[in-house]
Amino acid sequence: MNEPTIVSFLCNWCSYEGADKAGGARLNYPANIRIVRVMCSGRVDPELVIQALKEGASGVLILGCHPGDCHYKKGNYKALRRAYLLKKTLKQLGIEEERVRLDWVAAGEGERFAEIANEMAETMKNLGPLELS
Amino acid sequence: MAERIGVYVCKCGPNIGDKVDVGTIVNKVRGIKDVAVAKSHNLLCSGDGLKFLKEEIKNEKLSRVVIAACTPKQYEVKFMRACEEAGLNPYLMQMTNIREQCAWVTPDKSAATEKAKSFVIAAINRVSLQESIEKKEIDIQPDVLVVGGGVAGLEACLSLAQKNRKVYLVEKSPCIGGLTARFEEVYPTMECAPCMIAPELQEVLQKENIETFTYSEIEEVVGSFGNFTVKVKKKARYVSEEACIGCDACFEPCPVEVSNEYDEGLSTRKAIYLPFAGSLPNVPVIDEDNCKRFKGEECSICKENCSFDAINFDDEDRIIEKDVGAIILATGSTLFDPKELPQYGYGKYDNVVTAMQLERLNASNGPTGGKIQLKNGKEPKSMAFVYCVGRKEKGYCSGICCMYSLTLAHLVKEKLPGVKMHNFYTDLCLPKKEHQKMYKEAVEKGIEFIRSGENVTVTDEGEKIIVGTNGKKISVDMVVLAPAVEPNVDTEKIAEVLDIPRDDQGFFAEEHTLMKPFATALEGVFVVGSCQGPKDIGDAVAQGGAAAGRILSKLIPGEKLELEAKVSEINEDLCSGCNICIVLCPYSAISRDTEKKISVVDETLCRGCGTCVSACPTGAARAKHFTKEQIFAEIKGVVR
Ligand code: FES
Repeated sequence: MNEPTIVSFLCNWCSYEGADKAGGARLNYPANIRIVRVMCSGRVDPELVIQALKEGASGVLILGCHPGDCHYKKGNYKALRRAYLLKKTLKQLGIEEERVRLDWVAAGEGERFAEIANEMAETMKNLGPLELS
Repeated sequence: MAERIGVYVCKCGPNIGDKVDVGTIVNKVRGIKDVAVAKSHNLLCSGDGLKFLKEEIKNEKLSRVVIAACTPKQYEVKFMRACEEAGLNPYLMQMTNIREQCAWVTPDKSAATEKAKSFVIAAINRVSLQESIEKKEIDIQPDVLVVGGGVAGLEACLSLAQKNRKVYLVEKSPCIGGLTARFEEVYPTMECAPCMIAPELQEVLQKENIETFTYSEIEEVVGSFGNFTVKVKKKARYVSEEACIGCDACFEPCPVEVSNEYDEGLSTRKAIYLPFAGSLPNVPVIDEDNCKRFKGEECSICKENCSFDAINFDDEDRIIEKDVGAIILATGSTLFDPKELPQYGYGKYDNVVTAMQLERLNASNGPTGGKIQLKNGKEPKSMAFVYCVGRKEKGYCSGICCMYSLTLAHLVKEKLPGVKMHNFYTDLCLPKKEHQKMYKEAVEKGIEFIRSGENVTVTDEGEKIIVGTNGKKISVDMVVLAPAVEPNVDTEKIAEVLDIPRDDQGFFAEEHTLMKPFATALEGVFVVGSCQGPKDIGDAVAQGGAAAGRILSKLIPGEKLELEAKVSEINEDLCSGCNICIVLCPYSAISRDTEKKISVVDETLCRGCGTCVSACPTGAARAKHFTKEQIFAEIKGVVR
């Protein structure tokens, strides 16, 4: 039961609404998915991700609007570039890159949100908790 | 003074109450530092609930509030207002979503309770670091600039001009009315276009609150929504708009004759001219490029023939500065030049014309007074319309060419009932409720429709023109090409002046295709009509009105404009002046203070996305209400 958590940064406009839709449809996903609202996926800098891992999260999910749909035009593209670099860095630190996942969820995509949440939880279960030395 | 945090967990009836052990959460958080009260409520969003909340804030002298309930998307605004009414800054309240993102997705009650508890703790952590944010309001200028005097711009002008608000209409050409003024009849009503817009033109020119600058362009725009300063270049007309009575006595004697662009090159005009008969304002203009005088020759015939002393050769370009709160671009579009595609024979054969040329031939204010004729003056006995000229090259369907071609076909058929007509099309685009009917009527009139695809060639055979497609050849007297709609040449320059983006096709880019089709990335700048994409008259007018409505609801004379509260700020001492944020900001809201060598945020432009914050290498950029510390505190709570 006390599985390590997955901190999920959701952009306010699409992904947060997507997660709400999953709730509205009473779709289930593991309780260790813990949501933190940000205005845009472009606001999620590596510092936030690393902090989540430092605090004990086993993984971090960053969800934004689909490419082209960002409420602030291109924040999600910036998130994409950043995630790429971040994953590389994590790898060099010996942290599996699967621990950070960036994806897109539209406001209507409740099912997609639940699916991604379930997949992420499954991946983290397989990887086990993150041991930071 | 010590903080007093109030935590209120809503049961939302059974929605949360049955799935989450609310009592446990309330008990657990009571012991947390600074939590003065923790209570549950059956339905906080109800009238009773809100009253309860307001009383709690006052009676318990709360300095911060956490509300654990449904999604903030539903009632955050309501709860913020309640806080405000109870005297608490609304940004000192934090909502956490234990319904949609907890109770409804977690079947196991103890797991749901555990998760909800972590959300509540995260919210308590976060709210402790939240700061009050004061509403920012700025004084505004209610006046509006409209660029482009076609139907979309006219509609905007007339909707906006009212008491306490001036509208400045800037039109590049010497007359207003746009393309519509040059059409004879328009679909789907098939009514006389000049008659249809004449009252609007007159009203715009006469209305006290509208000032029209024809033969003018925008040169420079600075400022932001609510307070723009615009420089308009009013080109020298050399004819006084005040003195001229529009008697036309000056045209006749002018010795210069050049091709008339307003008749699509089908007629000639003088160096002093009116674009077409009846164009408004009824004041001619001297064309500097062609007037003898400006080529160094002695000539003042027009002046000599003017009885009103309206001609002034010393007239000069003038720069006029205006302060406006918003800008509407309605600069229109133009047609693709078929000369770029030699297979259509345009420019090579005299009787291959564009739809716009046929418009002018058919127009009673056109070069032939409305007589549809071949180059040799004879009536055509047969005609071919070729649709989709340039569609493939442009990469989009203009959506109006089928209809304007059909309209012309009907009009020609009315004037010349005996004419044989063949329409070569790729796909018929007849999207609106009246369009199909017009097509059916065309078929009933015996107009032939041939699905040629884009594979059409135009050649000649003696006097005749041969249109060939897929092995078929049809011989006609006249070919009418229906070119795609493309952005006006000055679109690029205007986009630069305003620093707004254009789309892949070169039109002004709208902020959101579906939800904000007439707004742009720059708040307070709107794009309406065909400068935003091909559009028919009705759609252009609708957009003009819609943008005007937006402005009317925001820029109210005598009232202030409320700005986004959750904006970014830059700490002067930490900023290294690297400029990264300036480049990344999607709204050009950050600029460089050249003296201090740092970045500064324009709060009127910032929309609070936080992109600058995550990119700032020194931590100087900070997103109000979404600071690093606040998010860190929240993370700490959710991971437990
Ligand atoms: S607002 Fe959703 S990713 Fe930018």
